[in-house]
Amino acid sequence: MNNQLKTVWNVTKWEYTRFFKWIDLIKGTVFFLAFGLIGGVIGFWVASDTITTPDIAVHEYGDFSSENFQSSQFTFSDRSEDAMDVLLEELEAGDLDGILTIVSTDSATIRMKGERGWLTGLRQHLREQRTDLKLQEFDIDASVFAAIEDGMVLHTEFDRGSESSSADKWLAGIAIFLILMAVFMGFAYQFTAITGEKQQRITEQVISAISPQTWIDGKILGITGIGLTYVVYYGGLGLIGMVALINFTGAPFGQALVLINPGLLILFLLLSILGILMINSFFAGIAATIDDPNTSQKSALMMIPLYPVLFAFVAIFNADSTAIQILAVFPLTSYAILPVRLVMTQVPWWEPVVALVLLAATAWLFRVWAGKIFATGMMMYGKEPSLREMVHWFRRA
Amino acid sequence: MLKFKNVVKKFTKVRAVDDLSFEIKKGEIFALLGPNGAGKTSSVRMIMQIMEPDSGSITFGPSVMQGDKVNRSKLGYLPEERGLYQDAPIIKTLVYLSTLRGSDPAEAQKKANAWLDRFGILDRKAEKISTLSKGNQQKVQFIASILHEPEFAILDEPFSGFDPINQELISDIIRELRDGGMTILLSAHQMQLIENIADRILMINNGKELISGTFDDIRNNTISDKKLIVTYDGDVKNELFQGSGDIRNSIMTAPGEWEIYFSENYSMNEVLKIMIAAGSVKTLKTSDVNLHEIFIESFRNGGRAHE
Repeated sequence: MNNQLKTVWNVTKWEYTRFFKWIDLIKGTVFFLAFGLIGGVIGFWVASDTITTPDIAVHEYGDFSSENFQSSQFTFSDRSEDAMDVLLEELEAGDLDGILTIVSTDSATIRMKGERGWLTGLRQHLREQRTDLKLQEFDIDASVFAAIEDGMVLHTEFDRGSESSSADKWLAGIAIFLILMAVFMGFAYQFTAITGEKQQRITEQVISAISPQTWIDGKILGITGIGLTYVVYYGGLGLIGMVALINFTGAPFGQALVLINPGLLILFLLLSILGILMINSFFAGIAATIDDPNTSQKSALMMIPLYPVLFAFVAIFNADSTAIQILAVFPLTSYAILPVRLVMTQVPWWEPVVALVLLAATAWLFRVWAGKIFATGMMMYGKEPSLREMVHWFRRA
Repeated sequence: MLKFKNVVKKFTKVRAVDDLSFEIKKGEIFALLGPNGAGKTSSVRMIMQIMEPDSGSITFGPSVMQGDKVNRSKLGYLPEERGLYQDAPIIKTLVYLSTLRGSDPAEAQKKANAWLDRFGILDRKAEKISTLSKGNQQKVQFIASILHEPEFAILDEPFSGFDPINQELISDIIRELRDGGMTILLSAHQMQLIENIADRILMINNGKELISGTFDDIRNNTISDKKLIVTYDGDVKNELFQGSGDIRNSIMTAPGEWEIYFSENYSMNEVLKIMIAAGSVKTLKTSDVNLHEIFIESFRNGGRAHE
């Protein structure tokens, strides 16, 4: 390994170990699980205490009979003989949850102390009783009614060589989610690392030992490494959770894995890694221009890389629109949008190739640009470069 | 070791370094002095290749070069702007900064332990930097600048933040490093310490040289090697000091006490006549002029430091 690569590797290791600590991650997971467990127990207790079978007094039946009011969800009591005042007293005392008064098959009133969650169930029950009554009234056979209700099944066929499996679609969705996670990680750590170094006045010492480009290269790789580690860790945890869930429900997990296209998996990985490297280069360049993160207007620029990930969700609705086709090869958005197009529609072979080449070239360009900004921006204390200066450095890169 | 030739560095409104030239010889302690804003930090940053000169040249001796490029691992730097990774352990920080200068990690760890031991903080090596006092952080920063045993080290304000005992310790170490063959460029405001350890001195102001040479050279070439300390009983007609061609400057250091600096070709007889004419002399003695006084005197005569 030559000296420069060795130094980049040293910086990469330093930046990685500065922020990434297994023990913190494990502690975080344990806390997360512990709080999840506590939340679950409390939630279960609250729910079991709240959800009970409501006692409904039926004051008037209208066109229905008391036989229509048998349900496992409700305890209906026939109180048609009792005066309303008596029922209201019982409702007030909490002995009843509601008083149901049915006027006709089209109108009924329920009297309660306030809005209750079981109201939806009661509406459903009344609707079913009304349907049965109307079927009898119009002399319609239940099977005829069921046939009318069935509707039409619409089958989908796609004009493409092979259809992506549901597993591929899930994979694309998970890839976008994990990219989003890595983007947030990159945002947080680059911001902390670079503005922190500036504020702690570490810059001058390091920059006298190694070139700004070497330093920024190490930073980009180290922090990308942290993002990817978190992605792998939480992705792994998610996978374990999914396997546990599938085993619990008895679904064929092995068959689902076989459905994943290995070529697509590799392509998603390449797009994700290059995309995250490009974003972290962008973050590093911007962070180097920020003098005080509490007041700098440039902090808002750090949000820009989130847009492509948001566009990817839009791409799901129409993956073949002209805008989405362009954004799928445009290097600033391709890493998030191309995975969606690949699973949602037919993509020509050259599209991933062009997207990958452009993305790799842009990641490299951003790296050089970040190095130029870093070289000047990190030594600027008390003032920040203007956007014009930053564009000038970008053009020089 | 270093030739700094006709170097100019301009910023938007300021000519920080203005056609400045000097040379540093191998194995010497060279002190760069000047008031705030004189151009010291800009000069140092150009030597350390943090910024480039607008014109002029900075060339290093062959022991620092690797082909036609400066070998940064042969340079050491204690910047004026101090800073360390506050959340990182001391030993880890030292080893990291040393490996950036090309050291082997195991070797750097061994040397770092030895230096920490010398500074009396070895038992705290695993602690985070933030747990150290400011003085101890300065020690770590100093170690970081010389741990990789550079050929040429720039120490900008190495005594700052230290108590007198540790200032002496740093002075001793700087001398030892010089005796071991290291070339050192020193910038500091503690004139007494500079006077004791610097082999040669360069004073600059407004980016230009004011005076340079050994301490003796400077003392001889500026305001004479002696001064007169006179105390008076009663009133002093100090206006008499101003009009004489034998007296270059006079400073009242206490009520009735005056320090008198001689002009280049002074006559002691004439000076004594003026002293007597000015009032009733109580005591009279001569004393050596120190670097602090030369520094103050030079800037009075050579120009005012800009902020």
